[in-house]
Amino acid sequence: MYTYKRKNKGLGFRQREDIFKLYNRLILPIVIFVEIKREPARSFISYPLATKRLLLAPRIDLVDSLVLKLYEIINSDPNLPSIDPPEAYVLAFAKYTGLPLLTDNASPKIAAAFLEELHGTKVYDSLDVLALLYSRRKLRTKIRTFIEDTGIEFSRRRLRE
Amino acid sequence: MGLTIDWKKYRKVMKVLRSELEWAREFRRSRADWSYIESRPEPLRTALKVLVETGDLKGIFQAYSIPLEEFNEERIRAKIPIVVIGLKET
Repeated sequence: MYTYKRKNKGLGFRQREDIFKLYNRLILPIVIFVEIKREPARSFISYPLATKRLLLAPRIDLVDSLVLKLYEIINSDPNLPSIDPPEAYVLAFAKYTGLPLLTDNASPKIAAAFLEELHGTKVYDSLDVLALLYSRRKLRTKIRTFIEDTGIEFSRRRLRE
Repeated sequence: MGLTIDWKKYRKVMKVLRSELEWAREFRRSRADWSYIESRPEPLRTALKVLVETGDLKGIFQAYSIPLEEFNEERIRAKIPIVVIGLKET
């Protein structure tokens, strides 16, 4: 979820609406929604919510049993970047629903790479989304714009991938 | 814990992860606006320094009880990038 405030570098990708060219609907679990408290993020999500392009997913007990296991296994390993409970929840939610998880946090992608229970769970970071959205010809420019707008950078290795 | 680790994949990821995390740390150190960070009141100053070292935005906002979005705006003003790392051997 991207916030939007052009004057302040880093507060939002100017073409964030393009994500709806890739997905008709986005699902935002309520555990993440409650973390969004301030403008302009709240304003940005209100319109897609009203038009049902963004759906709020309630907390589901079935998902919670996997959340605790993910939280424990990732956070008990000092070699891994930590995961917080909402992020563990959305990772488990992605596993149960079969929907891709969109996040720039490293731990869900790392966990999905080696945990057998997460086999087949897709975790996309911003670069994955940009690459899915734009042709190779436009991609370089879009990445530059994204970095300029959001303050999110990609490692050289990640760009080579 | 009831989850199964594929150790072959784990070792492969770890091999890349260590160097990527170190690269990201150095990158944040070099990009950060240290005079801005030093100008901030405590506990924000320490929180921003920890962010440079760890990159763990969400962990730090919880540890220092700073609202996430406020902390993220401070991160941007302090020019501390969020670094998306790669995991594949290239």
